[in-house]
Amino acid sequence: MTGLVWRRLLPLPPALLVASVLVFALPRLTGVDVTRAVLRARVSADVPDAATQARVAAEFGLDASATVQYLRWLGAALRGDLGLGFVSREPVLGQVGDALAVSGLLTALALGLAVLVGVPAGVVAADRPGGLLDRAVGVLGVAGVAVPEFVLAPWLILVFAVGAGALPALGWGGPQHVVLPVLTLAVYPAALAAQLVRAETADVLTRPHVPVARSKGLTARRVLWRHGARLATTSVTSLSGMFVAGLLGGSVVVEVVFGVPGLGRLLYDAVLAQDLPVIQAGTLALVAVALAAGVLVELAGLAADPVARSRETAS
Amino acid sequence: MTGRGRAGAGRVAAVLAAVTVLLAGCGGAATDQGAAQPDGELTVALQFPPRAAYAFDADDGARLQSLGVAETLTSVDGNVAPVPSLATAWQQSADGRSWRFTLRPGVRFHDGAPLDPAAVVTALRYVAGVSAPPRAIRGIGFAVAADGPDAVRITTSAPDPVMPLRMSSGNLGILSPAAYAGGGAPEVVRTATGPYVLDAVNGTDSAVLVRNDAYWGTRGGAGRVTVRYVTDPQTRALAVQSGDVQFAEGLPNASLPQLRSSGAEVVEYPNARTVELLLNQSAAPFSDLRVRQAVTKAIDRPVLAAQVLGGAADPAADLFGAAVPWGVTQPPPAADVEGAKTLLAQAGYGPARPLTVRLQTFPNRPELPVLATAIQAMLARAGVTVQIQVGNYDAQEPDVLAGRFDMFLNSRSYLSDYPDATSTLSSDYTCEGSYNIDHFCSPAYDALIARLPTVTDVAARQQLFAQAARMLTDQAVGVMVVHPKNTAVLSGATGFVPDPLGVRPVLPPLQRTG
Repeated sequence: MTGLVWRRLLPLPPALLVASVLVFALPRLTGVDVTRAVLRARVSADVPDAATQARVAAEFGLDASATVQYLRWLGAALRGDLGLGFVSREPVLGQVGDALAVSGLLTALALGLAVLVGVPAGVVAADRPGGLLDRAVGVLGVAGVAVPEFVLAPWLILVFAVGAGALPALGWGGPQHVVLPVLTLAVYPAALAAQLVRAETADVLTRPHVPVARSKGLTARRVLWRHGARLATTSVTSLSGMFVAGLLGGSVVVEVVFGVPGLGRLLYDAVLAQDLPVIQAGTLALVAVALAAGVLVELAGLAADPVARSRETAS
Repeated sequence: MTGRGRAGAGRVAAVLAAVTVLLAGCGGAATDQGAAQPDGELTVALQFPPRAAYAFDADDGARLQSLGVAETLTSVDGNVAPVPSLATAWQQSADGRSWRFTLRPGVRFHDGAPLDPAAVVTALRYVAGVSAPPRAIRGIGFAVAADGPDAVRITTSAPDPVMPLRMSSGNLGILSPAAYAGGGAPEVVRTATGPYVLDAVNGTDSAVLVRNDAYWGTRGGAGRVTVRYVTDPQTRALAVQSGDVQFAEGLPNASLPQLRSSGAEVVEYPNARTVELLLNQSAAPFSDLRVRQAVTKAIDRPVLAAQVLGGAADPAADLFGAAVPWGVTQPPPAADVEGAKTLLAQAGYGPARPLTVRLQTFPNRPELPVLATAIQAMLARAGVTVQIQVGNYDAQEPDVLAGRFDMFLNSRSYLSDYPDATSTLSSDYTCEGSYNIDHFCSPAYDALIARLPTVTDVAARQQLFAQAARMLTDQAVGVMVVHPKNTAVLSGATGFVPDPLGVRPVLPPLQRTG
């Protein structure tokens, strides 16, 4: 298993290096003068003169070639120094770290809620195909997948904050601020998980080992959960890596609407402000989390599946 | 948003959004504003988060001023004349190159340090020494030094008639000497002088203010203010309706009726900003005055303001509008399509020689593409074919400044940094102006602007501003399209004082009610 772990981890550093080149190069390939953009972002109505641009370019090392700028940035980043934001002039590492912690919490809670709701819903729906519950899960599943966050979030605010007055409409700080963003984020993965589990459980229940289990005297409920649902949930587990990346990226809308200081909001603000060091570090953090989540899920899948593990070890 | 494939999601979203609007109209109980509570706590939702950690050399400098945290040597009154703030008086030297500002006695910073000449010198020298100093003092040979135990002397390389107005710029806030001791960006927490103490900063998310009970002037109306930066306009509106916040700014026009019906107080007030259709006079067809006048006649500005923007703007008759005393408040004429056709025919354009032009704009201000489309339709009625190109502003700017464009729809603040129009009138319209997109060049206009550095009297300067704007209108130097309006809403609070100039503190007069 140790060998498998290393085989999965080894491609990560080169993948991150390629990603770092891309996130560094892409903004510079758009033809926008970075110095001018920085000055404009700090003073929106300004028309920067050449002398001011030259001073600011020198201050931030933007007067060097792109290659030199990249190598300087990479060297510092390898030492754990992500520098200061061009616009915010605040340490990038602290900004990204704080934001990642907030988004990580939202993602973990949303994913947990999605699994807690989506998996049982799918299993129960599969148990009685065509029944009321199955149809309800089907309709809610389609709606949950179709309704985007920017529509769902105001609806939840209207119902729970404006209508019921039970939860805050925006902000961050207490447990009450977590509820609506997590609900908004959880709907899509919960709906998808329910549909997936429903289809797979229904398929599993038609396989030969199920009547055998029943003939051994197991109750219908135990057959359903032990033999049907257990196999079906492996696909949800393998999808959860994708969900993590999707939730982190998808949290932009949620964090902006609810005023949550997470990675999505940080990147949104940084893109508007054209704060390149923040954009670079934030994007790289997203890539790193997505890659790590993918590897972890894959390793978890191998750990749980002896057949796949032995196949991997043999190859 | 996650990158999902969603068949039919657009239609579903549209239906849900429509229902959302209907529900929103029903939501929210009517609020009883009640009596003011002088020590109550307020939560406010502001539109623009700090991008530069409240740096004075950035737009964030004015933010600390509007919060009631940092103060400047002067402020301005309703006539846009300078009035005392941290300085109580000022005198210009005989040669016009220096001003002596007498400091207010007995003022203490939030950290307890006294306001003295050394503190002012430290603060102003810092901001003047950064790599991109604020425009209020950039390029004028700004220098500051103590002048006796209670005053500072500010000198410039040439006589400057508006130094007291410059000193009202939010970029020139004065912090305690301790704020600059670290060597980097000044520490803004608990180092200013205003009616509110900046007690905590949570990045771009929020900030906490507590009242400064030792304030030298009128004390703040709330004991504590939590400032939330909420970039989404619909969320700001919903936050007011849910009671999460008692004051919000920059509300979407569509939400105003529902806010009013929920009992909230909605305030709409002028903004010192103009949406301009800039016409490139360095080349045909707009080098011809008749073509520019034809375009002006063809565009129905009252319709654009009232119908296209749904009342979120006033139609512009001039560069300056209701936000300033010298602005024009009467509406411009409605469209005169036949008059436009006649002028175009005189210029040689018509069915036999149709006129086709390109209109460029950018989406950062969402009203611009909408206005561009409406202008396209209006000009089509006069026989002008307009091809719209919406793109990134920063990518467009070099071409536009170099004169490689036909028409450019821009949104421009005409009172940036401090309330004097010289900067805009010079940079945007003089022959050598650094932002003269129209490529307008008139010796008579330049001569008028050249008089401004010699005029100290505020009223006389304002007359010159109005005269300059009339010259631009007479020469059809672009089309002044609309003046966008600001909006604010209060629910559970009172005391909002609109400030079209954006230089006076917004939060200190607010009080909690209930």
